[in-house]
Amino acid sequence: MSEVELRVPLGLGETLRDVVFRRGRHEYVALGLVSHARLGDRDVILLRQLLEIPESAYRPEAGHGAAWNGAAMIPAIAEAVDLGLGIVVFHAHPHDGPPSLSGDDRGSADRLIPMFRVRVPMRPHGSIVLSRTHAAGLVAMPGGAVVPTKTDVRWLGASIIDWRPAEAAADVPDLGSFARQLLVVRDDGQRTLANARVGVVGLGGGGSHVAHQLAHLGVGEVILVDADRASPTDRHRLLGLSRFDVWLRRRKTTVMRRIVRRIGMGTRCRTIGTRLPEPDALEALKASDVVVGCLDNLHARADLQELSWRFLIPYVDVGVNIRAINDPGPDGPHVSIGGNVLTLIPGGFCMWCCGFLSKEKLDAELAGPNRNYFENRAGEAQVVSLNGVAASQAVTEVLQLLTGFAGKGLRRVDVALPHLPGLQRGFRKLDGVRGTLEDWGAARRPGCTFCRSTLAAGVVAWAPVV
Amino acid sequence: MKPETIEQAIRDLVSIYGDGVRVAREGSRTLVRLAEVEMPPGCRPQTTAMLLVFDPDQPKPLPYVRPGQLLANGREPRSTSTQIVGGESWMQFSFNIPWVEGQSIVRFVTAARQRFAGNE
Repeated sequence: MSEVELRVPLGLGETLRDVVFRRGRHEYVALGLVSHARLGDRDVILLRQLLEIPESAYRPEAGHGAAWNGAAMIPAIAEAVDLGLGIVVFHAHPHDGPPSLSGDDRGSADRLIPMFRVRVPMRPHGSIVLSRTHAAGLVAMPGGAVVPTKTDVRWLGASIIDWRPAEAAADVPDLGSFARQLLVVRDDGQRTLANARVGVVGLGGGGSHVAHQLAHLGVGEVILVDADRASPTDRHRLLGLSRFDVWLRRRKTTVMRRIVRRIGMGTRCRTIGTRLPEPDALEALKASDVVVGCLDNLHARADLQELSWRFLIPYVDVGVNIRAINDPGPDGPHVSIGGNVLTLIPGGFCMWCCGFLSKEKLDAELAGPNRNYFENRAGEAQVVSLNGVAASQAVTEVLQLLTGFAGKGLRRVDVALPHLPGLQRGFRKLDGVRGTLEDWGAARRPGCTFCRSTLAAGVVAWAPVV
Repeated sequence: MKPETIEQAIRDLVSIYGDGVRVAREGSRTLVRLAEVEMPPGCRPQTTAMLLVFDPDQPKPLPYVRPGQLLANGREPRSTSTQIVGGESWMQFSFNIPWVEGQSIVRFVTAARQRFAGNE
């Protein structure tokens, strides 16, 4: 039996469950438009859009199953062809435990999948049945046969919820070492952490805090990405850096790998000594469960935003900005200390939605046509404790995404600010002078062209010219 | 760039590169991938995949090659940078390649390769 992972962005999981678990005279079907990618060692199907079969199109003779007029699928097929996407037919068997396709389900899939493949051959197609805890189906990956497929599901919401067979999860080697942490994340949360892979991009003032804390949490693997070597000006803020490291101009990745090993909570460490978006860094990060960006420029943030949305990988961004105040009062502060911790859950607001990224801001960062012409920001102010505040919150966000200690809901209301339900939580602003880190929230912008073109876009579906 | 210009460009590329041409749409952009393009003598590797991005808001296509493409002197050319396009890393040419709508896209590809090699 082949294996595939289905990833469902924030918002669509709620819709999918509402449709297929709807109570009525018959089973209900949702048509998913999907892209795909190979991420690490997994084939992943990325759910991009859902369409319903209208009630009037269901045929009464189906009994408790579902049968519908083929014409009802025409809008979905037309959309799939137009956007170059695959089609997955979803329905549900409302019980716990692994579901299986009925004879009728298999017959229907055997008729539909070849028809979908003729229209969009470069994307996967399939029929997937959900129970309340598991999924299974018949799936045809591009160029492959239609085969029974063990289907893991990753739902993105307030946290990452994985439907995976229990045998896939490795045990935590020394659970007792985490006794006090287990009171927060529980045994299953610690097991999730031990099986998680977190990418950290940028190992300077913020990233060094993040790498330390992920190792203390007992995250299974960290992917550390930074092209720089240690320099004397790093010493006051890069946690764990020694004089000897600076003298030898060791790579920051080498320094952090040593720290992670010394902490010794079972975390494996993969180091990438290049910059994003060089191919080795990009490929390594695609296999992450969560990415943390600790970057000093917007172009690299735009790259992580693209990686996150395209492959449905949650992204936590950290940044601290310290600026001198012109003409400060005699007793007032002489600097302003701002910062941000953004928790970007694919399907929610993105950096373009909330104005954190814009073409004007990206252009302003360059003094020429491409990244060879970056304005030098190396001399900006940095203080270890301020970096630590933002970085610690970022790691707490990772902990929430992986374990759901503060809630696991899939619905948009589960990620809303309590006092402003129209806004999604996760846009936190640091005021280092006042000593506050406050969630301002942000909203997904319905007309965001980035979300429309990139969310769950997967790999490019190259087609021959006809 | 007009849609008919893009369609004509794709037809012209197919006439030269045949089955090695693949196309995809990403939002409003059209991506065209040439599986194997011969680089000027001495470049390493000698052939590379090339990506052309046709954006309706841009007056001319943007050319990219695979990262790691080196000049005859063993160095990467100046004025290039790696970018993510379609979820993959590609090396962007920043220099200006003369081309206007209506001219042959094949000439544009040839000019891009020459400029790449000359950008030491």
